[in-house]
Amino acid sequence: MESHFHRELDKLKMTLIQMAALSERAMVTACQAFFARDVDLAEEVIQNDREINLLEVEIDKQSLKLLALDQPMARDLRFIVAGLRIAVDLERVADQAVNISQRVRFLGSRPPLPRDPVMEQLSEASLDMLKLAISAFVNQDANQAMDVCTMDDKVDELNVMVLKNLIDYMMNEVPAVERSVQTIIVARCMERTADHATNIAESVTFIVRGLNIKHHSST
Amino acid sequence: MTASVKMTARNLDFYYGDFKALQDISLDVVENQVTALIGPSGCGKSTFLRCLNRMNDLIPTSRVVGDVLLDNRNIYDPSEDVVSIRRRVGMVFQKPNPFPKTIFENVAYGLRINGSRDKGFIAETVERSLKQAALWDEVKDRLDATALGLSGGQQQRLCIARALAVQPEVVLMDEPASALDPIATQKIEELIHLLKKSYTIVIVTHNMQQAARVSDVTAFFYMGKLVEVDSTETLFTRPQNQQTEDYITGRFG
Ligand SMILES: Nc1ncnc2c1ncn2[C@@H]1O[C@H](COP(=O)(O)OP(=O)(O)OP(=O)(O)O)[C@@H](O)[C@H]1O
Ligand SMILES: [Mg+2]
Repeated sequence: MESHFHRELDKLKMTLIQMAALSERAMVTACQAFFARDVDLAEEVIQNDREINLLEVEIDKQSLKLLALDQPMARDLRFIVAGLRIAVDLERVADQAVNISQRVRFLGSRPPLPRDPVMEQLSEASLDMLKLAISAFVNQDANQAMDVCTMDDKVDELNVMVLKNLIDYMMNEVPAVERSVQTIIVARCMERTADHATNIAESVTFIVRGLNIKHHSST
Repeated sequence: MTASVKMTARNLDFYYGDFKALQDISLDVVENQVTALIGPSGCGKSTFLRCLNRMNDLIPTSRVVGDVLLDNRNIYDPSEDVVSIRRRVGMVFQKPNPFPKTIFENVAYGLRINGSRDKGFIAETVERSLKQAALWDEVKDRLDATALGLSGGQQQRLCIARALAVQPEVVLMDEPASALDPIATQKIEELIHLLKKSYTIVIVTHNMQQAARVSDVTAFFYMGKLVEVDSTETLFTRPQNQQTEDYITGRFG
């Protein structure tokens, strides 16, 4: 028996999935723009951010309405509460994409730095985490969510490596300091994206299992 | 304050004739807590509630198997006195059922039945009970008026006062607010919060939000079985059993 409430809840899930798709695309595109030094592509990401912000507002509105009017229980309640948190993380992911795109604006107008394969690994690993976290949400799959959480250390390591490489490089190439700093910011944005992916995965675990695994708490 | 068990059902079966209405119920009712019983219509909530003060004894062909302990003594033991059990374990029904008497006499009724003659004591107890039931201020100037002139919400609080007058230890409430408007319902719910300081309460309700608001422990019954019991917070946020989950999220059947 499908109630009005459950149809509304499905609608909320669809809005979240839509927002997740847009945030994921923003991040993928921002990374592409960075490696291709494509300023036009970066501008596109910046333009599209507004739509993501509007969806976050829409999710807040839908969630609040369901909480107030239907007093949901159990998994439905967990879904709405976690959904609100997921929307915040998705919005921040999109902000990281915008931040990267703004660095691309600057970097695109300067000569390129030498290619660092670790930077590519970092981008790939954090995008993998983001995609897996979103897939865990779409499928409400706690096992996928658990996998996301185990990937975060790797991303942190890669970020430290990028940082070391760029600091070494700057020491010898004073004219490249500003470009290096901007690139460090890009790496930092990728690393932050992985953190948001971890948060999303934790929220999914909370929805599916009723467990709060944040900060190693057990309830 | 450590929680102590006030009542316990142990492997309780209950039959109406050949029909087994309760199957193997084991449940602890903790002192000074509110225990809520929820579940779909016909699952046995009222039957179980009535087992807790032997109200079912009144139904011919009914039969109880298993134990119900009150302070660790089996209330179904032949040596136990039903009248004293019903005094210790009082009951408030779904529909307010005041007697066609004055407000005062409604509350004094139980005391008189128990043989009380002391006028001062009776007057004092009536006042205390009406205060505990949060009705005193509304009726103190018309104690001699008929109880039937009260509103539904007032009548229900009068019935609660009547139940409290004999100083029960446990109060059973079967959907006490189902016939009331939201304001009267809120008063009853506030009252339940106050009463649990002095009494142990078991409440049947069809309103899940009400169970969530007033109770400490919630038990979910389905088809005569106790499916799940847990702290109210846990049961409503992360029930363990799929049937409980389906019921409280409205996905049942
Ligand atoms: N006096 C009776 N004689 C025979 N069967 C009865 C009697 N009272 C209740 N029953 C049956 O026992 C089962 C449990 O009834 P009970 O009244 O305890 O359910 P309930 O959970 O309180 O339902 P509701 O939410 O509708 O009040 C039902 O199948 C009912 O038909
Ligand atoms: Mg009933």
